Amino acid sequence: MATLAPPVPDAGRSPSPAAPPPRRRHRGGSKAGKPGPVTYTLLTLVALVSIFPLYWTLVAGSHTNAEIAATPPPFLPNASLFDNFQAALEQAPIGKAILNSVLVAGSITVGTVLFCTLAGFAFAKLQFRGKGLLLGLVIGTMMVPTQLAVIPLFMMIAELQWVNQLQAVILPTLVSAFGVFFMRQYLISALPNELLEAGRVDGASTFRIFWSIVVPVARPAMAVLAMLTFLTAWNEFFWPLIALTTANPTVQVALAGLGSGYVPQRSVIMAGTLLGTLPVLIVFTILGKQIVGGIMQGAVKG
Amino acid sequence: MATVSFQQASRIYPKAERPAVDALDLEIADGEFLVLVGPSGCGKSTSLRMLAGLEEVDTGSIVIGDRDVTDSPPKERDIAMVFQNYALYPHMTVEENMGFALKLAGISKDERATRVREAAKILDLEAYLARRPKALSGGQRQRVAMGRAIVRNPQVFLMDEPLSNLDAKLRVQTRTQIAALQRRLGTTTVYVTHDQVEAMTMGDRVAVLKDGVLQQCDTPGELYDRPANVFVAGFIGSPAMNLVTGDAVDGGVQVGGAVLPVPRDQLTRAAASNGTVTVGFRPEAVRLAAPGEGLPVRVEVVEQLGSDAFLYTSLADAPDDVLHSADLVVRTEPRSGVTSGQQLWLSTDRSALHVFDAQTQQRVD
Ligand SMILES: Nc1ncnc2c1ncn2[C@@H]1O[C@H](COP(=O)(O)OP(=O)(O)OP(=O)(O)O)[C@@H](O)[C@H]1O
Ligand SMILES: [Mg+2]
Repeated sequence: MATLAPPVPDAGRSPSPAAPPPRRRHRGGSKAGKPGPVTYTLLTLVALVSIFPLYWTLVAGSHTNAEIAATPPPFLPNASLFDNFQAALEQAPIGKAILNSVLVAGSITVGTVLFCTLAGFAFAKLQFRGKGLLLGLVIGTMMVPTQLAVIPLFMMIAELQWVNQLQAVILPTLVSAFGVFFMRQYLISALPNELLEAGRVDGASTFRIFWSIVVPVARPAMAVLAMLTFLTAWNEFFWPLIALTTANPTVQVALAGLGSGYVPQRSVIMAGTLLGTLPVLIVFTILGKQIVGGIMQGAVKG
Repeated sequence: MATVSFQQASRIYPKAERPAVDALDLEIADGEFLVLVGPSGCGKSTSLRMLAGLEEVDTGSIVIGDRDVTDSPPKERDIAMVFQNYALYPHMTVEENMGFALKLAGISKDERATRVREAAKILDLEAYLARRPKALSGGQRQRVAMGRAIVRNPQVFLMDEPLSNLDAKLRVQTRTQIAALQRRLGTTTVYVTHDQVEAMTMGDRVAVLKDGVLQQCDTPGELYDRPANVFVAGFIGSPAMNLVTGDAVDGGVQVGGAVLPVPRDQLTRAAASNGTVTVGFRPEAVRLAAPGEGLPVRVEVVEQLGSDAFLYTSLADAPDDVLHSADLVVRTEPRSGVTSGQQLWLSTDRSALHVFDAQTQQRVD
């Protein structure tokens, strides 16, 4: 579970309803016009709705099962959060799981961004035989449901004796068809052919062109792909549950082992979930601004 | 520095019916400034890209210096190219842009800095070395693109319409700067433009292309004075040469009701294929004749330029079918007092006439 709050525009003072009519042309919603109170209200609502599940996780994680079930339910977190944290940490190796998840999601992100940019560049800008067919195949793999691949995949990792090892969840997702297609589309429009030709005339090899010219141009798209891939990998549950055990789990697998018993201990589950979400939350709170900045910069420059 | 030679070089794009460049033969001397000119789509860029190694050569060959480079990749050709939209690397500073090729060539950091600074000085770019391209004006970007080419000190400069993104005034200014820079460096240069004024003012020689075929390659003066065919005659010069086509009759060419006198032997040879002849004369070669002598025309528009004036006229008694090809432009004194609607008679010097076979379109002397 990871909720990204929509970016709230820098709160310039919202015009009071009695403010004089704007001097700019009104029709066609000029871009320079300041957002009105309606926009602000709407955005605030959306932000609250997006944040609520996270807040509820915090509230529920800091009460007992009985307290959550009460009417009216509690609306403020309290200090038993830490008891629930402790319970969660005792029931499942959450610390280890977070470390594993960082490793897994991190490797997958680095791999996916690298390989998808390479392949996307090739499909977008290089001429080679069978290009159309290959691209068709890549896109075609998106139509195969993951569930279909699970059994052969499991047989393969069993053969390799990788069951319960992290590479079993890293390797199969080191490149994604979506990512290849995404990078291809971006590079087709964002990377002028002349830039590559200038590189060739300047004496660069194709690989050098990739590093010195393509990657800098592709950076905004790579940032978006990285963000999406990291989130997907962090939240991935189905395949890690099969390939790993609770002895060496990722966060999602570890959470699945929480609070199990006759009566599920919801508060412990919620506290564990909070623990498993915090790293992602922290990373994106810190990096979010830079990532959004990168995206905007690319968009304006393009 | 080196010579360049195209030998029967052709480029046929996949699925295209006819070649974009058709058996091009061109010898460019060491240190020469050669301009490729022609209308849009005539294959100028394609020829240049073939020389750069960015486009395949389907038949024929290309030689730089004494090396056949037909199948070599661009980086083995020792050429530098200036692109129409400059193609500056957006994430590199001006200095990095200019030094990139040197860096790839393994040249030390110190020498790189020296050479970039030298080029920047020539191009008046020293103040901008730390900037990114997006923080430069169009003219400055153009100079960075030039700088990127000259720091490499290559065998050949290739330029594809490098001035077309500048405004008119800057274009004229930069035009002379580039020509002066080229003379100073003495580097063989192939320059593509669709602007014939640019071609005539900059080139040591100008090669005129049409539909992928080389029409004529000569000095600007020769091109103007002795165009090899009707296309070149009409393409070079502004306003364009007057071209009229008519049947060969005794003593000249029938134009409307009048006869334009043409020397007998020229006329016979020009009429050899099908009896029709195209005659050309430049606006400045036309004289106003006494009433009743020469070609009768009606003045449609008078264009005052201050230093001189152009009269746009049409044949007074032209039948409908020759009307479209018989709009004649005349250069006159600025204050000749001619007004639109007036009837005039035109004559030309025989020596200023260009005679072409109307069938083959070739010049006859
Ligand atoms: N990549 C390509 N594939 C197929 N045909 C092409 C390709 N590039 C150019 N052509 C065709 O080749 C011919 C010559 O093109 P070229 O770009 O050399 O023209 P040009 O003389 O540079 O024209 P302009 O002044 O408009 O730049 C044109 O008819 C064009 O349509
Ligand atoms: Mg062109």
